[in-house]
Amino acid sequence: MEDRRLIYKLNRGSRDALCRIYEKYRDDLVRIAAGLLNNVGTAEDVVQDVFLMLVHSADKYKIRKNLKGYLTTCVANKARNLNRGKCPQNSVSLDDVEPATSNCEAPDQCMICDEDFQQVYKAMAQLPYEQKEAVILHIQAKMKFREIAKLQTTSTKTTLSRYNYGLNKLRSMLNSEVEK
Amino acid sequence: MRPAENIKRLIKNAKIKINPKVKKAALEELINELEKPKQSKPTPRPDIWRIFMKNRMTKFAAAAVLVVAVLLSITFLDQSATSAYAIEQTIQVSHSVRYLHIKSFMASMSDTPIECWVEFDQSGQVKNVRINKPAWMSPGDGESVIVWKDNKMQLWVKKKNFLVTLKDKEVAAQMLSMVEQLDPKNAAADILQAQEKGDSEVEIQEPENKAEPIVITATSLVENGLPFQRAILFVDQATKLLNSVETYQLKDGEYVHFSTIEFYDYNIPIDSEMFTLENIPDDVMRMDQTTQQVGLEQGDLSDNEIAVKLIRQFLQALIEKDYTKAGRLFSGVPAERMEKAYGKIRFIKIISIGEPTPKPEMRALYVPCTVEIEENGKITQWHPEHSYVRQVHGQPERWEIIGGFRGI
Repeated sequence: MEDRRLIYKLNRGSRDALCRIYEKYRDDLVRIAAGLLNNVGTAEDVVQDVFLMLVHSADKYKIRKNLKGYLTTCVANKARNLNRGKCPQNSVSLDDVEPATSNCEAPDQCMICDEDFQQVYKAMAQLPYEQKEAVILHIQAKMKFREIAKLQTTSTKTTLSRYNYGLNKLRSMLNSEVEK
Repeated sequence: MRPAENIKRLIKNAKIKINPKVKKAALEELINELEKPKQSKPTPRPDIWRIFMKNRMTKFAAAAVLVVAVLLSITFLDQSATSAYAIEQTIQVSHSVRYLHIKSFMASMSDTPIECWVEFDQSGQVKNVRINKPAWMSPGDGESVIVWKDNKMQLWVKKKNFLVTLKDKEVAAQMLSMVEQLDPKNAAADILQAQEKGDSEVEIQEPENKAEPIVITATSLVENGLPFQRAILFVDQATKLLNSVETYQLKDGEYVHFSTIEFYDYNIPIDSEMFTLENIPDDVMRMDQTTQQVGLEQGDLSDNEIAVKLIRQFLQALIEKDYTKAGRLFSGVPAERMEKAYGKIRFIKIISIGEPTPKPEMRALYVPCTVEIEENGKITQWHPEHSYVRQVHGQPERWEIIGGFRGI
């Protein structure tokens, strides 16, 4: 209910509503986008684009279910488009993985927090995009498989299998990292 | 060993340190946008235009995009205008269109237009489409024909003498989206939105002579906000349907003609044969990806791993003269065609298969390889220059070879 009220107020130009939506969802969206794009700076740009779209067009969108789901879908779509434009596949060696950091002046302020997750990031960069997308959207964004399937324009079964492949692959890569 | 649950927890609990300065600046930008007067809000640059023009599969839709852009950019519904005509009339009559023939001429290209025939069903949904692509759109491929029917897309490339049949949701969605955007009734909502934006200035001239068309000139008020800066629409006074659209770009202070889109044969039934490719010559190589699984399943392999595996299996199949398998890996090329191309060559052994490198413009990977062959009694090493692989359209879990081997 709060989200509907916030959108209603945002449509009427409420700065407070914008700040509240931003504070409520921005960081989670950046985290999701960073996972999809392997780069926090790009992730911040993508999320900012989505918020700009919301500001410009909130009155044109009927958000019937939940605002977070809507924003997450927008972020996932933008990330996928970026990924398509950038490169058709995501396989890179661990050494080539772009560090998941912003291009800000103080990199220590914006790095991935813990070392374990840095490893996960590196491993995820090696997954085919659809598998990575299924893993991140299900685990981080808490989207249902049928919602992800709709977004990926595929069947729930395929999405589930992408998720399982992705997770198993991550597990295998991370375990082999540990064993080295 | 880390169990899967631990991996899930790791992903779920992962945090990113956020730079508060960046976050604050981003929020300020949003607040500024929110508080800008509505009329002066910038229009987002239509990236879709650039994407369309880059994509070989969608270049044919340039005409469609132009029409959409025209419709999107215009604030037609200014009821204060003294003209008796309103664009709503055109939208309204367009609801009844079942058949449409479109020609799109690009000013900088040859006189040969892109031609498109569309059939809508009774509910107004796109039913069948045919697009004739002239050679100038893809000089490498030459002229080609695309037919979309029953959720299947067929592409006939005349110069290369092959026909591919695909059933890909993504391709279908692109096709439908592009064609539906041509439909004025679908664009009506966008026009209403554009009215609020105030992005363009519209002048309507309605000649007294009813034989002459109504001329609507729409000029963009937003610099670089659209792929063109001016559009002139010609509307039949009697039917209120669009006759044609001319688009212009602003160069050195002058409006330069960019394209002309002409609409023909409204509601004149199109022969059903136009939407099939059954009558193409017998010797055309047919690759039907809807009735067979082509390529290899990726499984849990990475893109690079599947690319190498695919090339290895293809070459091995040639060594074993298993042309059925080789053809299946190569986009579904028929076995007899493979044998015709390779039957006279003895593939002896694979010398090497290198690391794949991306070819973003083709959405593919290039896999360098060397194979020892015997041809005309002479043993040599063969290095295919364009051994590309990529995901199969409509079968995203599978990968196929898409080119680079001679004779195909």
